[in-house]
Parts: sequence; structure tokens; C-alpha cells
Amino acid sequence: MKAAAFDLVRPRTVADALAALADGARPLAGGQSLGPMLNFRLATPERLADIRTLAALRAHAETDDTITWGAAVTHAEVEDGRVPDPTGGTLRAIAGHIAYRAVRNRGTVGGSLAHADPAADWISALTALGGSVRIAGPEGEREEALTGWMSGAFATQLAEGELLLSVTIPRPRPGARLAYRKLCRKEGEFAMAIAAVLDDPARAIRRVVVGATDGAPIIAEGADAGPRAHAAIDAWPGEAWKARLLHVSLDRALGDIAA
Amino acid sequence: MTTLTVNGIETTLDVPPRTHLADALRETLGLTGTHLGCEHGVCGACTVELDGSPARACIAFAAACAGAVVRTIEGFEYDSVMAELRAAFTAHHALQCGYCTPGMLITARDIVLRIPGADEARVRRELAGNLCRCTGYQGIVDAILAVLAARRG
Amino acid sequence: MADGGSGKGVGARLPRKEDDRFLRGKGRFVADIRIPGMREVAFLRGPIAHARIGAITVPEAHRAAVFTASDLTDVAPIRAYSGLKGFRRSDQPVLATGKVRHVGEAVAMIVAATRAEAEDIAGLIDIAWEPLPALVDMAEARATTTRVHEEWPDNIVLETFVDDDLSDIAATAPIVIRRSLRTARQCMSPIEGRGVVAEWDGRLDQLVMWSSAQMPHITRSGLSECLGLDHGQIRVISPDVGGGFGYKGILLPEEVALGWLARRIGAPVRWIEDRFEQLSANANCREHAYELTAYADGEGTLLALDCEAMVDAGAYSSYPFSACLEAAQIASILPGPYRFGRYRCRTFSVATNKPPILPYRGVARTGVCYAIETVMDAIAEATGIDIETVRQRNLVRSEEMPYTNVTNKVFDSGDYPEALRRAAAALDIPTLRAQQASETGPVRTGVGLSIFCEQGAHGTAVYHGWGIPMVPGHEQAQARLTPDGVLELRIGAHSHGQGMETSLAQVAHTILGINPAAVRLVHGDTALTPYSTGTWGSRSAVMSGGAVAAACETLAKRIAAIGAHLLQAEAGSVRVEDGSVVAPGGASVTLREVAHTWYRAPQLLPRDVDPAGLDVTAGYKPLSDGGTFSYAAHACAVTVDTETGFVTLGRYVIAEDGGVCLNPMIVDGQVLGGTAQGIGTALYEEMPYDGEAQPLAASLADYLLPGAGEIPRIAIEHMETPSPLTRFGQKGIGESGAIGPPAAIANAVNDALRPLGARVDALPITPRRILEALARAGR
Repeated sequence: MKAAAFDLVRPRTVADALAALADGARPLAGGQSLGPMLNFRLATPERLADIRTLAALRAHAETDDTITWGAAVTHAEVEDGRVPDPTGGTLRAIAGHIAYRAVRNRGTVGGSLAHADPAADWISALTALGGSVRIAGPEGEREEALTGWMSGAFATQLAEGELLLSVTIPRPRPGARLAYRKLCRKEGEFAMAIAAVLDDPARAIRRVVVGATDGAPIIAEGADAGPRAHAAIDAWPGEAWKARLLHVSLDRALGDIAA
Repeated sequence: MTTLTVNGIETTLDVPPRTHLADALRETLGLTGTHLGCEHGVCGACTVELDGSPARACIAFAAACAGAVVRTIEGFEYDSVMAELRAAFTAHHALQCGYCTPGMLITARDIVLRIPGADEARVRRELAGNLCRCTGYQGIVDAILAVLAARRG
Repeated sequence: MADGGSGKGVGARLPRKEDDRFLRGKGRFVADIRIPGMREVAFLRGPIAHARIGAITVPEAHRAAVFTASDLTDVAPIRAYSGLKGFRRSDQPVLATGKVRHVGEAVAMIVAATRAEAEDIAGLIDIAWEPLPALVDMAEARATTTRVHEEWPDNIVLETFVDDDLSDIAATAPIVIRRSLRTARQCMSPIEGRGVVAEWDGRLDQLVMWSSAQMPHITRSGLSECLGLDHGQIRVISPDVGGGFGYKGILLPEEVALGWLARRIGAPVRWIEDRFEQLSANANCREHAYELTAYADGEGTLLALDCEAMVDAGAYSSYPFSACLEAAQIASILPGPYRFGRYRCRTFSVATNKPPILPYRGVARTGVCYAIETVMDAIAEATGIDIETVRQRNLVRSEEMPYTNVTNKVFDSGDYPEALRRAAAALDIPTLRAQQASETGPVRTGVGLSIFCEQGAHGTAVYHGWGIPMVPGHEQAQARLTPDGVLELRIGAHSHGQGMETSLAQVAHTILGINPAAVRLVHGDTALTPYSTGTWGSRSAVMSGGAVAAACETLAKRIAAIGAHLLQAEAGSVRVEDGSVVAPGGASVTLREVAHTWYRAPQLLPRDVDPAGLDVTAGYKPLSDGGTFSYAAHACAVTVDTETGFVTLGRYVIAEDGGVCLNPMIVDGQVLGGTAQGIGTALYEEMPYDGEAQPLAASLADYLLPGAGEIPRIAIEHMETPSPLTRFGQKGIGESGAIGPPAAIANAVNDALRPLGARVDALPITPRRILEALARAGR
């Protein structure tokens, strides 16, 4: 199938982009998720605003405590270490297993967070790290913690007319570990189960995120986050074999932390 | 109107925004070496080089590629790495129907240049985004490994 | 066979002549064809599996762009009958008429300047649907009063029965095995979909159609029947074909529709199938169900086999193979390479509201191999005999060849036990058994074997027996020397990746000594090639290879006669070799000189020259219509992660005998590629349907095709037993690789699960099926 007709605008600045969004445009970043939806006519926007090359969204920045990636940083840039990785390599490795290289070259971190596919990687991994997103909208800019970001499959706190600018990731302290387990049979396939566990003793943080749940991820925090996440999987309404995979991914991620 | 560089030539395309890059290359410019297999970014038949890296031409929209530098299989006619890959693909029987081949070659060239130390497992992983239904991949993997080995000397 | 030492003849691993154009993006596939003024077609396809079509409302502005069944009044439906007793005929309308019988059936044809605009118009058409109950499962379709075709008494396309009284064996056999097996509906998924370009040539009063087709001559015959045109009014050209596997071995409703449309609107038209159409409307193969009862003695000898098999044939009977070939073949080939003597098999081809079934690479063989090899492992388990020995006790032996089996198949040649021995030895089963014995954790090793033989290149008598619209006869080839000494070969079969431009040039080289670089193969054009049923059923190496050899042999005689005259030698004394005619004393003239003489300097020809010249048409049939039987043993190791249900393939070995290989490199490629497809069948590929017969995998993110990471390195052990039936001893082998993997892999997975008390009895073997089997076993 071919996409339904749409207009394309190419704003030069965030302000232009917001004006376009206020005018009804939908943001188009790398297009690696939106492109197929357009071709399937599952998405039929009248207007798209191409934000992929906006300088503000392409930037990255570091402080002593955080790292910030612009929303249009690509998975490949993370994979290749062209932007800093606060975990010392785990995020690079995660990036390297998102879809395929040709998709990673175009697909963006912000696009993935905004698209909010439950089986996508960044939602789970960056939520476990305590990440937050910066959003620009008609009322100005605001921050949202990723822990409350998804309200369901493909549903987030991003409102109509708003633009995701960047994601900020707190630097884990020395001695912290991020474990990430994704179960999929085929390289590039959408995950059947995801578990991300951050253990940061210096900050007294233990955060568990279970993804690929067909909805918002399961999030548990605190010393007993693991058992509580397992209990949440037990209460999860999906099929038993899929729940088993969620349990297994979680066990393995917790095992990585303990190892 | 969208202006971009295709195989070294600055080109102006007059296509509606909904036209994806592969259709623009094929239908407007006659560059039919870029093949369409799925039009949803999975099969890899339409892989081209876009701003120096492999990308799916079926889910990039031509109008969003203004200013971009695009290389299709036809643009690698005199590329020395591609020449090595072509010879290796023939020697290792890495193609049968030939439909996935242009996209496969563009991915293969990226592997050779980006990951010179790639072993078989890595080559197979990197090929995940290019489906071939004919060869069972063994010839493709062997051809790429042969080029990698030759370049390592 | 030696290739004469030149490295270019039959038996040589000659690099392929066709590669260069594909490696430069210069292949020409149907979607690459441009005709000035060409318009684009999209089809509006029914979104419901079973529904009556009420009013179709087309916006006034687009009336002229939209065509439905009510416009195609002068087009006959596609009608693929079978002469088998009891076969129920059904018509497949070119555009749905009255009702739709599967999701994706074309209801309207829309023509516009671009495909996107045609799809825009399709979105504006309103159809008043009256939904009917959808038949999604073949067992349910046998029981219900709902009919796919109202005029039928039930939903059975064909029932076949091979009868034998097994009661004495059933009463006494010490081992009785029962298994219920299912295989999934699949989509063949060539990377290039189907596609059609059609143009009416007013000067020639002829429809010219480019179609990505395996059987262009059969397409032409079908078009003739549906469009009411004589064959001379139709030319079908199949350009480079981006994979076939059976998917393009069919007369398409879209071909008929575009053929009609091009003439109607007086403009060239094009339809290119997209992946969504392919997956949603054309998951059309492989779905079988088996109820097996096997009887064996305590030594593991199979005494008798009793089977009831069903095939989900879908909604229509596809042209030319019909809706019953698959199930009827199950009955005839289930016994596999084994030599038991008592056999009962009842089969049902069942109509459902799913796409009409087509023969996919391996056809019924993939399913029956899975069935019989499951039985063999069950006998091994019941008797405590190892999996190789139990098979060795039942295989047809080499000294019994040619062997007529329980269904009267005549196996031409080979050493089946040796293939199994080699595959098993290369796998090193004792080491794997030791590994298994040490395993206590969640990851378990399994070992699996399968062995099969594959009938290929079967001909007139066999297909006359099926009584379908297509009966292959003599395969013809034309060999023509051009004035400058190039050899043009013309065949009616067609490549969709098999490399015939190379392998048939090797055949010509073997006969004429001509350099394969100076041989050009013309195929895929009904105007330029002799009639042929095309490329299907692992037949082209045997049939076209034999025909090209025959044509070249006749051509060689004519060349020799002219050459001898030019050399002033006795006609019978010269040899044609190395591209020349050579006299006993060593004097020679080249083929180019001979050709130049015939065409450009006829004054130099001998007075008694054969006036047919250097242009030969020859026909060929093997010595028997029964076909060649290539065979292979597959042996594999797997590991099963019993926590996740993930299966990882370990060592994978194939011992393969395709007789004499025209080009062993190409044969290996066929085996490797087929095996990858078989691995897809075993582990990944499934089109699930919901209760309304809606296909649930709409993209390749849902319908999983194996990638490079899912296919292990495969080792091939070569055997080469010539067929006594064919020109060079070659056998058909194109489908072989796709047959063995599901059986070997399923056996290996179940071997790994056996200590846990779990077993999977359905394909593909997904994590869900493994985890559910483990859950049933209390794990």
C-alpha cells in the first residue's frame, strides 16, 4: 500500500515546529515506525512536520549528574558511542539490538519514546534508569518522568501540539548496574518480554521495569522491587506462556544484578 | 520540489510528499535497482545509502530527504569495495533470483567498512535486516567473510 | 560426471552467467517495466472472510475508474478441475461475484495515474456487506452446515481412500503408535511479490502481458480460456522473477482482470502486489492435519500405517493444480522411503474461508515427511531402538532398486541407508547423547533425523491420472546457431533463481564444446519459446536439460555435416568438440565459420545439406513418466531453552543425492535455500487466523521469515547415484531442501523435551507451543 496524501513541512526551529504542530501537523522524526503506519494507511495525518534535523533535537549534553540526548539522536549514534552512554556501554549494547542497522541509522530515541510501542527498548531501559523527558508545547516547556510516561500501548503523556525535545538520564553512581534482558527469537524482532533492572546502591535505588506487556510497563521500586514485579506479572491478564516469558526475563535480569 | 543528490548528481524531484524515496528513485528517476519487498521496513530489499549510511528507501519520504545524498546500487558501479563484494557474491553463489541482492550488497558494504573485524556470528547478526528467500544465507555470509578476510590481508 | 576436463560442462561448479546483471541492479523484474501511458491498478479486496456482497457504491467522480464483476461479463471464471472421482468443481470468479469467500478476495479493480491514487479511490467505495459465518478450521468445516459453495452438499472438495484391511495386524502388532499432527498455514513469501503489466497491441491484435510467472505458457492457456482469446492473441512474458517457490505457478485472477482491462481502456496497465496483499490475501499453503496409527513389531519394523489426513484447501480451486493435489498427494507419498507393505490412507481436501491452496516447494512432501518421521521416532521410543537403527530397518535398500513401493511409486535409484548413515555419522550422535546425559539445567539438547525421497520431473501418465488442466508431455527446446556462432537456446520453462542460463549452457557445452559464454538462453516469453508447462515440480534440470541436450545433439550432426564439407573430410569422420569441427588429421573449422557458411555464404554448402539448417527443435521425455527420486537425510542437533521455549539450531547435516548435478554449486544453493525455508516451516512461519478467518499477521514483523541469524551453517554430504531414466543421470532436486527440516527439527525438539515428559505435535514449534506443552506436562 501507498501512504494517503499528506502535506510535509520542514520547520527550521523548535518554535516553527510548535507552530506547525499547533496548525495540526504531526511530528515526523526518523519515520521508522510512522513510515510503515503511513504506508499501511494506519496513520492518515493531513500534515507532517519533519523534525529530524532540528538542531535542538540533534544535540546532546552532559553534566556531572546527567546526560541529555536530543530527541532526534539516532539509535545508531548511541550504538556507535557518538553520544555519551551514562552506563558505560549497556545502552550502546541495547541500541545495537534495536531492529536493524538500516533502521537504527534513521530511527530516533525520541521517536521511540513518543511512539511508545510496549515492546520497544528505550521505554523500558530509560525508565529503569530514572530518565525524564523534556517537552515543549504551547504553554512552554515541562519535564515528565518516564516512570509515569506511558498510559497504555502507544499512549503517553505527550499531548497534541507538544514536541518531545530531549531525554535526560541520571548518571548511575560508581558501583551501580543496569541489567537488561530482552527475549526475542529473531534479531530485530519486537521483544516477547523485556526486563530492565537498575541497582544503584550509592543512591539507594533499585528499580525494575518489565516491558513488552502489551501496555504500560510494570514498574517496581525499592529493595523488594523484584518480588513485587513478579507479583505484578502474576496479576497480568495476558496469556500464561507470555507471562512465563516475562517472569523469565525478570529472573535473568535480577540474576545479572546478583552475579 | 525536492532537491537531493542521487548517485553524485544533484537532482530535483517533483513528487508529492507521500511518495517514498524508493518510488521516487524507481518511478521518477528510473533507478530500478532499488527493489521493493515489503514497504514496511523489514525485508531490506530497498536498502540504499542515505547520507553515508544504509537506510530503508521504502519508509523514507522523498520530500523529507531534501539536501540528502543518496546512493543506489547503480551508484556503486565504480566502487572498489562493491567490486570486491560482487566478485565474492558470484564466487560463493550468494544470489539466486537476485531480487534481494542490491539491498544485500549495500548492507554488506556497510558491514565490511564499519566492522572490519566481524566474525561469522556478527555478520549474520548484521544481516538480520535483509531477508533472502533463496540462498539460505550461507553463500552471502561466506562472500562477506571472504571480503573481510581479504581486506584484513 | 566429469565435465570433460574443461571445467565448463555438466558437473562443473561454473559461476553463474546471470549474476552480473543482478549484482549491478540491472535485473529486469516486472515492476521495472515502463510503458508510456501506463496506468496503475489497485484492487479493493474484501475485508470479511465470508459475506454476501450487497450494493457497491462508487462516488460519481470515480465511476469510470472502477470495475467490478458486473463489468466483466465477457470474462469466464477460473476453472481448475480434477478428473479424480468425486472432485467437486468450483468456479473462482476473477472479481468476486455475489459473495466473497476469503479475506482479500478482489471485489473491485481501480485504475488511476498512480497506485496511491487508485488506493485513494478504493477507500471511497462503499460496499454493503452481509456477513456469513466464516469457516476457519477444516475440521469444523467438515462438520458444519455452512457452505463455502452453496451448491455443494458439504465442504469436501475431494475424498480419497487407499484401502487395505489392517485388522489382522492391528490385532497382533506389539507396538501401536498414535499421533495427531498439525501443520500451519503459511505464506510462501518470495521477496518479490506477484506483478502484472498488460498492454493491448492493436497492430498484432494481441494482449501482451508481463507477469512474474513460473509457467508463462500455462498462464497464456488460462488467459485464453478466461478471456475468450485464441492463444495467438496472447503473449505472456515473464521477465526476471524474484523468487517463485510455487507462489507464481498459478493463473492469477489479477492477470485475467488486467488482461481484460488493458483492452477495455486502451491503455497499458500495471498491478504490483504489495506485501500486505500477499500476507492478507495469499497465505495459501501447507496446512495439514494427520491422525496416524502405525503398527510395528518389537524389532522396530513398521508393519502397517493407517492415516486420516485433512488439508485446508481454502475457498477455491487454483489453476492449474486444483484444490485437491495436496491432499491426494499425501495419500500417494506418505510411505516415504520406507518399505512396509500394508497401508490405509483416507484424505480430505476441505474447503474453508481461507485463500485457495497452492503447491509450495515440497508440496505435500514436507507435511508427510514430518508425519512419517514422527512415527519413526515414536517406534524408536516404544522399542528402545535408536533413531538411526529403527530407520535403517525400514528403508528401501540399494539392492532393491528400482523399487516399487506400497503406493506403486517406482524409486529409480539410490542408496537411502547410506545417506542416513552419512548424515547421522557426520552429526556424531554418540557425543550428543553423552551431552544429553549430563544435562540437568533448563537448556536441553535434542537430536533429530529425517529422511525422504522426492519425486521430481514426473510427467504425462502421472498428471493425466490427476486429470487437472495441465498435463506435461515432451519438453521441447530449440537450439539455434546465429550467423556469428552464438548458440541461442530457447526453452518454455523459466528460471526464478535456478540459474538455468548457466546450467543449460553447461549442457550445450558438454554436447557441442561451445564456450558457455557464447550461449544465450531465451526463456520466459511465449512468443519466443516452445510450449511448456513451465518450472514446477523439480523438473527443469531433467526436462529442459534433456531437451537442450537433444536439440544440441541434432544440431551437432548438422554442424558436422557442413564442417566436414568445408574440411573436405568424410561426413562421418569429423568430431564436434571445443567449439569446432575437427577432421581426423586435426584440421578444423569453428562453429562460427560453419554458421557463417549456412547464413552468409550458402554457396559453399554441400549439395545435400539438411535444409532445416542450424535451427533445431527437439523434444524430450525421460525413460519413464514416473519421475526421478532424489533423496536426502537431514540430521540436526538443537538446544531447547525450557524456560523460554526458544529453540537454537546446532549442527545441521544433510546427505543429499540428486543424481548427476548439472552444476553442483547451483544444486547446493537449491538445497541450502530450501533448507532455510524448511527451517521457517519448522520454527517460525505461521499465518494465524482469528475465529472470523481474519489473517492476523499483516506484516513481516508478524509473519517471521528466517534471517541469517536463524539459519545455522549447513554441511552437505554429497552422493551422486545417476538416475537410469534421464539424459545425464540428473534428478530433480529443487524442492528437496524444504522437505526434511520440519521433521528433523521437530524430532530433535521432542527428543530434548522427552525427559521432561513434554511433546509438541504441531508446526511451527514456537515458544508458545513448547511452553504450553511443558505446562501440560506440569513443568
